[in-house]
Amino acid sequence: MTGSYGVEDRFARITITFSVLLLLLGGIFGLAQVINRAPYFELPSFLEVSPKTYYTFLTGHGVFLAVAIPIFWITGFTAYLAPRVLGKNLRGGLLRLSLLMMFAGAIMAAAAILSGRSAVLYTFYAPLKAHPLFYLGAALLVLGSWVFAAAFFLQYLEWRRENRGRGTPIAVYGLLTTFIVWIEATVPLVIDVLKNLLPMSLFGAKVDALEARTWFWFFGHPLVYFWLLPIVTLWYYMIPKMLGVRIFSEKMARVAFIMFIIASTPVGLHHQLVDPGVSAVYKYLQVLLTLVVASPSLLTAFNILATMEMGGKARGGGALSWILKQPWGNPVYAGLAVTFIVFGIGGLTGIINAGYQLNLLVHNTTWIVGHFHMTVATIVAVGYIAATYSLLAELFGKGVKWPRLALAQPYLWLVGILIFSFSYYIAGMEGAPRRMLNIEGAGGPPIPSEWIYTLQLGAVGGIVMSASGALAVLVFFYSLLRGGIAVARIAPNPHPEEGDPYHPLLENWRLWIAVAIVLILVAYIPTFYELYSRGLAPVSPVGV
Amino acid sequence: MEHEEGSTLEFVWITIVAAVIAGLAASMAYYGFAKGFNPVCNATPISIEDIEAGRFEPGVEEIAPGIYRVNIVARQFSFEPSEIVLVDPKRVEFRVVSMDVIHGFQIPGTSVNSMVLPGYIGVFVWEPPEGIEGEFLILCNEYCGLGHDYMRAVVKISSSSSLLEG
Repeated sequence: MTGSYGVEDRFARITITFSVLLLLLGGIFGLAQVINRAPYFELPSFLEVSPKTYYTFLTGHGVFLAVAIPIFWITGFTAYLAPRVLGKNLRGGLLRLSLLMMFAGAIMAAAAILSGRSAVLYTFYAPLKAHPLFYLGAALLVLGSWVFAAAFFLQYLEWRRENRGRGTPIAVYGLLTTFIVWIEATVPLVIDVLKNLLPMSLFGAKVDALEARTWFWFFGHPLVYFWLLPIVTLWYYMIPKMLGVRIFSEKMARVAFIMFIIASTPVGLHHQLVDPGVSAVYKYLQVLLTLVVASPSLLTAFNILATMEMGGKARGGGALSWILKQPWGNPVYAGLAVTFIVFGIGGLTGIINAGYQLNLLVHNTTWIVGHFHMTVATIVAVGYIAATYSLLAELFGKGVKWPRLALAQPYLWLVGILIFSFSYYIAGMEGAPRRMLNIEGAGGPPIPSEWIYTLQLGAVGGIVMSASGALAVLVFFYSLLRGGIAVARIAPNPHPEEGDPYHPLLENWRLWIAVAIVLILVAYIPTFYELYSRGLAPVSPVGV
Repeated sequence: MEHEEGSTLEFVWITIVAAVIAGLAASMAYYGFAKGFNPVCNATPISIEDIEAGRFEPGVEEIAPGIYRVNIVARQFSFEPSEIVLVDPKRVEFRVVSMDVIHGFQIPGTSVNSMVLPGYIGVFVWEPPEGIEGEFLILCNEYCGLGHDYMRAVVKISSSSSLLEG
């Protein structure tokens, strides 16, 4: 399966390098935020930010790190890996068009944010209004990613026609799931932008706050699975590969991916549990589906741990010493394993957020911030970066210049995220609000003393996380300049010993997409029926 | 044999996962629908013009001893009333509206936590724990613009027994 992938590789080099640049920018914003919001933290005046700067940074932090990086990195990673696994090229014209659209969109959105005229945060709840370029840019970025998805789907369908009766290799299976979920996620976003947000921003059209919020979270939750799924794919693909074993259960892995397809989307209302205007029964229904979508993560936890155990024992480990026999000294393995551990903890706290009653205690508190830094932030800053270390040799032809620093990076992050997130969890349980710069000096009764030391400790964790992020950026660019050694190989082995298992039911994408659509309709038709039958309550937009 | 053992483990794990999920779902349903402990769900549309015209009056009203109705108007960047006084509250019905963008209404340390959506009157009930006393912070917990941090109010809760003692 050797071929020439020059066009794909150029695409991947551009998007992955751009992702690391965005990590630098978004990381600087994050550092500024975490130290500025810690109560009674004495900062030198040149590090202090105004509310306008703070909320602009917060918008950039969310949009760059949680929307732009995943889109650029995942498309690049897929462009590198899928052709090598399937032995087929992607259509070059579509790749070029997609790159053009994504960059145009990203630049428009970045200009709207960095000009300070779109401090609406990453959730851009209407009727708070950003500059029109913010919405146009976001839409163009997403449409560009659709063009890429089209190229990927076409490539896969072609492979399937030529390989009837063969099972889809797990790497492509996972990436296909990623892009199917991405389409599910972004259709509601595009509807929201076209129907509500652009007319609001361009012409001052009135908009219903609850309707726009509902479309947003219809997009916002499956978005988190888009971030996650390439890393789940890498766990299933790279961990057994690096340990020299097969996945404990190939079938269970595929079942987990299918469950992500059917249950990632009809769950957005668990972000709206305290929204007036949505009935208890409809909220509860989506909480139920949220618990269902927790199950593929639990299946994955079991399957990956069992695979690690098999691998550790094959390397001479015993009943427990298999844990020590993991290749902890390899930066790629270490990064994937750290992501796996941290995501496990973060995922469990997600069940609390989605708890129909418990949500009242943590909604819009720093608990949520602790949760999504253990999940998405770790996926980006450790998971994507781990794979990028490997690509430095294979894709960029350079290798890693400082493998020891690359190895330290995920462990440093582990220390930082544990301090940061647990501090923010505790502060959140005590009711400390997220998204607030001046917590201690804004009037009213004094703030609870628990908020003070926890948020200060959180700042310490944030500084450690920033140091880890800085290491990642440094290792990446210095390696590009100087070259180094290969640390792991992501490209498939040239002669796979056994073929992938073929289960007709698990290869029936059409069936599972249909099930997903049915579940989405079941979950959302009642909500929208309630909203529209009551009559919308549109209000005028308000600038920041 | 190895394969058989693997399948049994898988089956056991899937059973555990299903049982945990069923247990969580059942407990949430029990507290929500049998015990009536639900987050804010009710809303009636109201236009900002109607609020301006006085069809929604901010203020605190004691309907019966310990039974309160509190109407809150949220706007960038304040709550009206900015001070809520409750004596021996047993049941407080909050009705919240916004004059501009989405706000939040939270009393940290309690289960009072609701979005405030412009265009809607959100209605929810709080049954404070018995013997609760003191000054509690009310804050907007949804970003609403550059002055968001300063959008705060206070609820002062006293019990009549301690008033007599005092």
